[in-house]
Amino acid sequence: MTYWLTDPRTWTWILQGLSATVAITLFGVCLGLLLGTLLAIGDLYGGKVSKGIISVYVEFFRGSPLFVQVFIAVYAVPALFNIRIDHNFLAFLVFGLNSAGYQKGYVKGAMQTVLDDQMTAGLSVGMSKWQTLRHVILPQAYRIVIPAWTNEFCSLTKSSSVLAYVGISFFASGISDLTSVGIAVSYQQFVILPVWIVIGLIYLAWITGFSKIMDTIYEKKKIPGIDLEIQS
Amino acid sequence: MTDYVMEAKHVFKTYRIKGEKKGDVKVVDAVKDVSLQIRKGDIKLIFGPSGSGKSTFLRCMAMLDIPDSGEIWLGDECLTKPGVDLNKARARIGFVFQHIYLFKHLTAIGNVELALRQVLKMPKEDARKRAMAALEEVKVTDCINKYPAQLSGGQAQRVGIARAIARQPDIILLDEPTSALDPELTGEVIDTLRDLAHEGTTMLIVSHEMPFAQEVAEEMIFYDEGHIIETGPPSLFFNAPNTDRAKQFMTRIINRTTR
Amino acid sequence: MFDWNHLIFLLEGVPLTLSISLISFLVGIAIGLPLAFTRVYEKEISFVVDIYEKVFRGIPEIVLMLLFFFGLGPFFPTPFNNAFFVVCFVLGLRSAANQSQIYRGAIRGIGDEQMIAGTSVGLSKWRSIWHIMVPQVFTFSTAGLGSEYALLIKDSAYVYVLALLDVTRRADQLRFSTGDYTWYIIAAIIYIALTFPIAFSLDKWGNRRKKKIGL
Repeated sequence: MTYWLTDPRTWTWILQGLSATVAITLFGVCLGLLLGTLLAIGDLYGGKVSKGIISVYVEFFRGSPLFVQVFIAVYAVPALFNIRIDHNFLAFLVFGLNSAGYQKGYVKGAMQTVLDDQMTAGLSVGMSKWQTLRHVILPQAYRIVIPAWTNEFCSLTKSSSVLAYVGISFFASGISDLTSVGIAVSYQQFVILPVWIVIGLIYLAWITGFSKIMDTIYEKKKIPGIDLEIQS
Repeated sequence: MTDYVMEAKHVFKTYRIKGEKKGDVKVVDAVKDVSLQIRKGDIKLIFGPSGSGKSTFLRCMAMLDIPDSGEIWLGDECLTKPGVDLNKARARIGFVFQHIYLFKHLTAIGNVELALRQVLKMPKEDARKRAMAALEEVKVTDCINKYPAQLSGGQAQRVGIARAIARQPDIILLDEPTSALDPELTGEVIDTLRDLAHEGTTMLIVSHEMPFAQEVAEEMIFYDEGHIIETGPPSLFFNAPNTDRAKQFMTRIINRTTR
Repeated sequence: MFDWNHLIFLLEGVPLTLSISLISFLVGIAIGLPLAFTRVYEKEISFVVDIYEKVFRGIPEIVLMLLFFFGLGPFFPTPFNNAFFVVCFVLGLRSAANQSQIYRGAIRGIGDEQMIAGTSVGLSKWRSIWHIMVPQVFTFSTAGLGSEYALLIKDSAYVYVLALLDVTRRADQLRFSTGDYTWYIIAAIIYIALTFPIAFSLDKWGNRRKKKIGL
């Protein structure tokens, strides 16, 4: 029954699937952080129109499942706008857009923890609002946001399993992510339970390992006095 | 060409505080028709009951709060005119806060250097030299690489003062610099301010510290309920103030400090 | 082009979506609440709870569902051949892990004094917990629980992989039969309509209760 485990093709698939999952998830949380920062700043300093657009954006991406959003991005958007875009690119993009919807809240919260006092201090030495945001507010906010960002990473990795069902593939073998590897192996080799246990453990190892690394980085980068205020 | 380093002309500032219930709004008249002139080398001290609006007035002078009406002049420039580059103006004003407000993510020396590099656009080397000089003046040279959270209140506030003087501003505004500190630590800050005063720095201070006022201030300004009630040298207030309100306030203060 | 029957077909998936999320939420409370108190007040077994939470944080729900349904289904057909059961089982346990964290935060926020007060009037540890802490914990947790419930409504879409006809699966079917991709967008709007009011009103209810008890 362990023949599938020693089959090199299985491991090729696993490597492909894992790298796809890692790539799309990391891309997603990084784009999410950048875009989320822009949305947070827009929400704090923008006019009524920007705030309105940002609310709609956030409500859409936070209020509907990523599953449905991927379908929309990959199928509905090209059809509606009558353009041909690479499906894989759209998949990467929608992960980033989705994550930004959540991260806007985390970044805004982190910024508001330091905002009033530190902005006043920055202005008092002659810096402009933007200089203060860039040199004083955001450096502190980014340190505060690391735990939430790590959490978002875990969340997104788990959600990435929907890629197996959207009809995308990143490799000639048809693999789209780690979950699709499980599906492929269980179809081809007629083993089911052990396959899913192994796939599950690989996910667990990756997520737990990455979280541990991020926690260590957070400890190292922590500046005494800057901490997330414990919310009850 | 004006004689004054800074001047306030008929400044008004009101602010609204939202109450607990919906629609509950408390209107506070913090600054009601206040005018003040400061010459080079002046050391003036504003004092009075808490909540009278002194801090708000000081922040208006630095344009950290924008006055509702009236004019604030920095030398020949009117800061309350629309279209004025407030950032450039604030670069010429040093401000020291009651709650210090150091940049928490930077070391002590980093705090002082930041504006030198970003506002005065000084190159790294020069900024560091100037920052070190400022820190030497406030006598905080042994903890320049510590973060604000690792400093005592007195050390932190002195770094705050260094941050304010490093740009060699035209004037330094201090908003109750010792009020948030433990009593044992106020001494070091007051010593620093005394040194600055002897060097001829132009200062406008809001403070309760009466002994310091007596020794260093050239003019004291009694401020209550949004108005300047009375001004004069320290000897006036400590011996025989003219107005009743000032008399009442001074009696209470003196009773408290002489025990 | 727009056929009302299609929309009705799509909306017929809503009861399934709601029942999955509701049952999972209740399972989450039933398991999450004791889990939270165990982690806080019985330090010896808390590492077991820790492992439980790590597992559900680290393995995708879809993988667990496939594991139970296709992997255990053949051996234990009674519960695990039922797609609805498997979904609620997996999401319920996952929710319990999340809710345990939420409740722990609330317990920490309430503080020790309440427990000490309870034991000082003679209540045992677990009776203090039930009569004093639990009601307060719910009041404190409304924001977190609101977002957890919204999360369950969205994650109910995972039942797609077990071929149950919820809103997402139906949108997919409509895409196959009509060739029209906009059904996905309408499905998204339905989900938003489901998540928005719940999170909103739970937030308001929580704030009102907090004011009542003087927070």
